[in-house]
Amino acid sequence: MTLVAGLRAAAYGIPFQPVAGVHGSDLARVNNWRKIADPYGSGKEVYVIPPIRPDVAVIHANEIDEQGNARVLGSPFWDHPLTRAAKRVLVTAERLVPTEALAAQPELTLVPGFMVEAAAIVPRGAWPGSMHPLYEVDYAAVESYMRDEPGVLEAHLAAAPEHNGGS
Amino acid sequence: MNSGWTPFSYLVVNLARQIRAGEIAFSGVNSTLPMLACLLAKRAYDFHFTYVNVAGGVEPVPQKIPHSSSDPAIVAGGPAIFANEDFYDLCARGGLDLVFLGCAQVDGEGRTNVSVIGDWHNPKVRLPGGGGAAVMMPTARRVATWRTEHSPRTLVERLDFVTASGNLTTLVTPIAVFQREPARGSRLALESWNPQVTIDDLVKRTGFKFDAGAAQPTAPITARERKALASLDPLGEFAAEVHA
Repeated sequence: MTLVAGLRAAAYGIPFQPVAGVHGSDLARVNNWRKIADPYGSGKEVYVIPPIRPDVAVIHANEIDEQGNARVLGSPFWDHPLTRAAKRVLVTAERLVPTEALAAQPELTLVPGFMVEAAAIVPRGAWPGSMHPLYEVDYAAVESYMRDEPGVLEAHLAAAPEHNGGS
Repeated sequence: MNSGWTPFSYLVVNLARQIRAGEIAFSGVNSTLPMLACLLAKRAYDFHFTYVNVAGGVEPVPQKIPHSSSDPAIVAGGPAIFANEDFYDLCARGGLDLVFLGCAQVDGEGRTNVSVIGDWHNPKVRLPGGGGAAVMMPTARRVATWRTEHSPRTLVERLDFVTASGNLTTLVTPIAVFQREPARGSRLALESWNPQVTIDDLVKRTGFKFDAGAAQPTAPITARERKALASLDPLGEFAAEVHA
């Protein structure tokens, strides 16, 4: 939530973003977050979070056209604040589609192409995560990746779709 | 005494029992037990409430219950998607009635630590973080937390670090339910206990001091609660992950 506030400060182009709550949390101390009095005189104090401006945001989309317009189906999680806050936006996508396909339902385009610097077509690129409605989380792959043993990382990378023709 | 409770059923059912008619209830990341509690309440109780979750799900009707409470599968069957910033904002403006927030440690004042064991700058264990708890705990109308381990190292007199403070009302463990009234600034008090243990056991296993003056044995699991829980975990996979 304070992360969203920081991303919003960056997206809105302002030096800080007020945020509800935080009172009583040690996170304010260790992060050096300040609180300010309501300038309109309610007597309330509000924490203000400095901007978080990622150098690069990378998101995975269902479809993209050659101009970089990217469509995301299903839940967007952090994609909106993240792409608006970052200096540069890169997209990987399940498939390339003609612009007319996106223009038929422009409300499904999460990032317009003018914001996107570069893109790559990577079928099953969210693996071992999920991509609605195409595939679900690969829990077996996640669990084997979590083992703290030699060779686990190499085996994980070797199993990635981009090394296996997207299948 | 065979009360019919397992550690798993006690946790899920007593979390579900916190949900009230007409409320908006929310479950977050790393919150499989509250996710199951919300789904159980939908199946076992007659009243209406709205279930919203961290994956963006609004009133989901999942065919298959995902292993992770942030799996997009927990959006399935619902008529809307509510993005991350949407549910945080809803909570911030007082629109979430009951929020389930996890903890590594909880103290008698109803504050939680999800950040660090040991010193922040030189930790013994770096924990995953609150995932918004510092904002949600003071702004949600009520907050319930849970621990699968009921011990003096999890239920503590003094937290290593205060991640979140505010409107925590409820703590559920495999053997007890504690409640407090944030508006009165009261401490967690024993509301009910699993009849498989005694209050003396609870005192020994709880790091913070608590009042047990009004406590009663927890009402047994009902047939509907038992049936709903079985339908959510037919193979016992979730139950197998909870060890008392």
